[in-house]
Amino acid sequence: MTACIDMQDLSSILNRYPPEKRYILAIMQDIQGEYKYLPKAGLQMIADYVDAPLSRIYSMATFYKAFSLVPKGRINFKVCDGTACHIKGSKIIIDQIDKYLGIKPGETTADQEFSMETVNCLGACALAPVVVANEKVHPKVTSSGIIDIIKVYGGPNDAADN
Amino acid sequence: MPQIIEAGKKMILVCCGTGCLANGSTDVYQELQQQLANHDVTVSTYTKATGCNGWCEKGPLVKIMPDDITYCQVAAKDVGEIVAKTIAKGELINRLLYRDPKTKQRVKSHHQIDFYKKQHKVALRNIGEIDPASIDDYISRDGYQALNKVLQAMTPGLVVEEIIKSGLRGRGGGGFPTGQKWKACADVESSLRYIICNGDEGDPGAFMDRSIMEGDPHTVIEGMIIGAYAVGATAGFIYVRDEYSLAVKNLGIAIDDARQKGYLGENILGSPLSFDIEIVRGGGAFVCGEETALMASIEGNVGEPRDKYVFPTEKGLWGQPTVINNVETWANVPVIINGGAEAWASIGTEGSKGTKVFSLVGKVINTGLVEVPMGTTLREIIYEIGGGILNKRKFKAVQTGGPSGGCIPAEMLDMAVDFDSLTEAGSMMGSGGLIVMDDHTCMVEIARYYVNFLAGESCGKCTPCREGLKAMLEILNNFCQGKGSDADLQFLTDISETMQMMSLCALGRTAANPVLSTLRYFKDEYLAHIHDQHCPAGVCRDLTEFYIDPEPCTGCGLCSEHCPVEAVSGAKKEAHVIDPAICIRCGECRNQCKFDAVMTR
Amino acid sequence: MKIMIDQQVLEVNPGVTILEAARQHGIHIPTLCYHEAFGGQGMCRMCMVEVKTPHSRKVVAACTYPVQSGIEVQTSTPEIEKGRRTIVALLYRSAPDSGFMHKLYKDYNCPENGLTINNGERCILCRLCVRACEEMGSSAISAVLRGTEKRIGTPFDEASAACIGCAACANICPTEAIAVEQTAQERTIWNRTFAMVQCQSCGRSFATREQINYISQKTGLAGLELEVCDLCRKKKLAAKIEQFAR
Repeated sequence: MTACIDMQDLSSILNRYPPEKRYILAIMQDIQGEYKYLPKAGLQMIADYVDAPLSRIYSMATFYKAFSLVPKGRINFKVCDGTACHIKGSKIIIDQIDKYLGIKPGETTADQEFSMETVNCLGACALAPVVVANEKVHPKVTSSGIIDIIKVYGGPNDAADN
Repeated sequence: MPQIIEAGKKMILVCCGTGCLANGSTDVYQELQQQLANHDVTVSTYTKATGCNGWCEKGPLVKIMPDDITYCQVAAKDVGEIVAKTIAKGELINRLLYRDPKTKQRVKSHHQIDFYKKQHKVALRNIGEIDPASIDDYISRDGYQALNKVLQAMTPGLVVEEIIKSGLRGRGGGGFPTGQKWKACADVESSLRYIICNGDEGDPGAFMDRSIMEGDPHTVIEGMIIGAYAVGATAGFIYVRDEYSLAVKNLGIAIDDARQKGYLGENILGSPLSFDIEIVRGGGAFVCGEETALMASIEGNVGEPRDKYVFPTEKGLWGQPTVINNVETWANVPVIINGGAEAWASIGTEGSKGTKVFSLVGKVINTGLVEVPMGTTLREIIYEIGGGILNKRKFKAVQTGGPSGGCIPAEMLDMAVDFDSLTEAGSMMGSGGLIVMDDHTCMVEIARYYVNFLAGESCGKCTPCREGLKAMLEILNNFCQGKGSDADLQFLTDISETMQMMSLCALGRTAANPVLSTLRYFKDEYLAHIHDQHCPAGVCRDLTEFYIDPEPCTGCGLCSEHCPVEAVSGAKKEAHVIDPAICIRCGECRNQCKFDAVMTR
Repeated sequence: MKIMIDQQVLEVNPGVTILEAARQHGIHIPTLCYHEAFGGQGMCRMCMVEVKTPHSRKVVAACTYPVQSGIEVQTSTPEIEKGRRTIVALLYRSAPDSGFMHKLYKDYNCPENGLTINNGERCILCRLCVRACEEMGSSAISAVLRGTEKRIGTPFDEASAACIGCAACANICPTEAIAVEQTAQERTIWNRTFAMVQCQSCGRSFATREQINYISQKTGLAGLELEVCDLCRKKKLAAKIEQFAR
């Protein structure tokens, strides 16, 4: 979690936008895109840049789901829990990931290898249930199929004792 | 509308909507381009990546024009054969054609397929036919003609009148008359007005706006420019979910192209109208679909709504008069202007004119986007277009309107769908999600699902919504575990009523709909959970035990093969048995069983 | 303009809200998130009232609804009372440790329910503390997260550099939800400990060092001049006036 944050990079992202409050969201999105999370130093820099209280930036960073304040794992499983995926069994997939990797939605494994989050709807309802591993879409995932997917990404072969 | 195909050429359209992309359409597209470049085909060809054709179930789809051939579920390995046979020699490849499940016949053109036959495309008219990144493709299909028409022949007042006459109602949720909104905004004294396109499509199970922004971005832009002319706005914003990266990209290209052609910017097409559009990426908050929350978000704040006692048309973005409509609404505007309000309004019902796009998903055979005239019955949509329920199961309910909507039972399948009939049934149109549920769907669990969704998506500003959802979720979680009482059921109703009456925004006021509608039509199921600790659908895991009925079981072994925990055992061709101590109740065995042998108790 | 509240005809200024109009005329409408200093926030929804116009009848938040000529307002109907009771019941569940909420819960005769009680909690998320902090110019705290998880806090729940320890948040809080630990030397609030300043004349601890510095910065007055508590300053001023009067 002590990833080295390059301040130069951060300020080059800031400088893509005029220093106005209306661009806070856009700046945060670009930082999230770059680092896969919002580093603390980044939030303070935004606050200084647009001249807004840090508390306002923090409110926004915790309000919008697109942002994470902690780094994600090397492989981030996004399990779609849109309605179509839900009625076709996304809950089981979430439980299976928890069982095999010991992480609940929003959590990351201790070795920073895997994280899991649920997303509302990816608009790929015809492929339900859907799991996205980093950018790769896995359609029509079953409770046994997810175990194979975890293995493909280097996950453990056996479920952890629970 | 005529298909514009360059003379003497074959046009190959590869669907690159989200569904097809996930099924590998990029590979198909690249393989096609590569092979066509290398193969010495005597026919000249060109390939286009189009937006979503709607029929995601059968993707990736490849259409070959002018022969009007549609191939389904095409893989990169099929490309060689397509080029060698169909492109070079005009031969059909039977196995890639759709097989009609009723007639068992292969079907050549998508126009002959039930899924498309019943549809009437207005908002989706160009999608799947054009390359969304090409403004010329859009122009070749009457694009920007409506803008020309208003600038040359109509006063702003006349444009507003035309929209009022069409009866167009907002396609994003509430169904407010669009023309009235425009008039209200135009009537406010102000030197600065804004136009917003709400593309923060958040209803889980709805993706029509995504499809339009990705597949036909110019229709949205043209609609907005016409709106800007009508109300006198100088700046516009398109607020898009950031998750929709392809939509953001295609809209960006379209805005640049439109600027270059003089449709955006100073003095549009030589007229006094100056107007430009900016894209704002949303941050992932369902509540930002609510217009005042969306505006707060554009302004650089937390997306919390405010009381709308003063409408946004009077005090909206940065306190200025603002018109906000959703993607599908804007997409209809050029059509209304081009063909006239009367022609547009000739379809639909008395109170709801035009067509509506639905995303038909869930336990239905043909999932995807369908556009039908308002007033089409649920039965037509689900059985004729959708092809009926998956695995020949029994239809139980259809959920409409997303988390603000409700569940409609089988008795109401013949209901003609429009804004008013859905509201009367205790649901709503919302953005047009239609989620089909079969008898393996538990309605208490579905209510719990929506309440859980909203508990995470409520902004948390007002008490009834925040605290109400928290309490409702606890009660419903208990029900799903067989805990709870009649008093809880009463309290659930009290909370629902309070939320409807007192919540700040539409999200909170409609948040109880999934609970109230399931209570109204499926109360028995609630009582079974509370009184008998039984989940009739076999979904709630604490109340369900799976077992195999040895009578119908053929011992095919499919269930044990798919069981993730090896809880099913049995010799080949002999009845299998589930060990309840090992079973995690995921239901995969029941999904797999072809003989209805897996039962619950 | 004339409006009617609970059958009384009132003369009110255009631009005020129903709540302000009612308060000016001594008519009670219950509120939790309202404070005269900040105006209506429209959050707690306790002030919902029924408004009748010639065209409609609707339930609105009195604290944000601007008066219109001729409207008829009912501050209480059986439905509204039931709604308020539900709100109180729900809030009490979330903040049972607050004596204020406990009293309200009794006053509204809330029916028993089997819901889990959120023991140890007092905050009802009225956000008056956030508004007060904003007004002070610090904006050290804000509402964080969203939905049912929403709560008040400093960024990262750490000691905030923007906080001056003025305790305006704690003072305005109706439910005593903000913890302040204070001795003659120190005040601890929001995970940060501040040194207290003693009044130059009476010796009472009356403000934090940061508070004095902040005011000094804002007003341009020398810090030392500010090291006198309110009470002593008033006494001094009174003495001066007396001197001049002679």
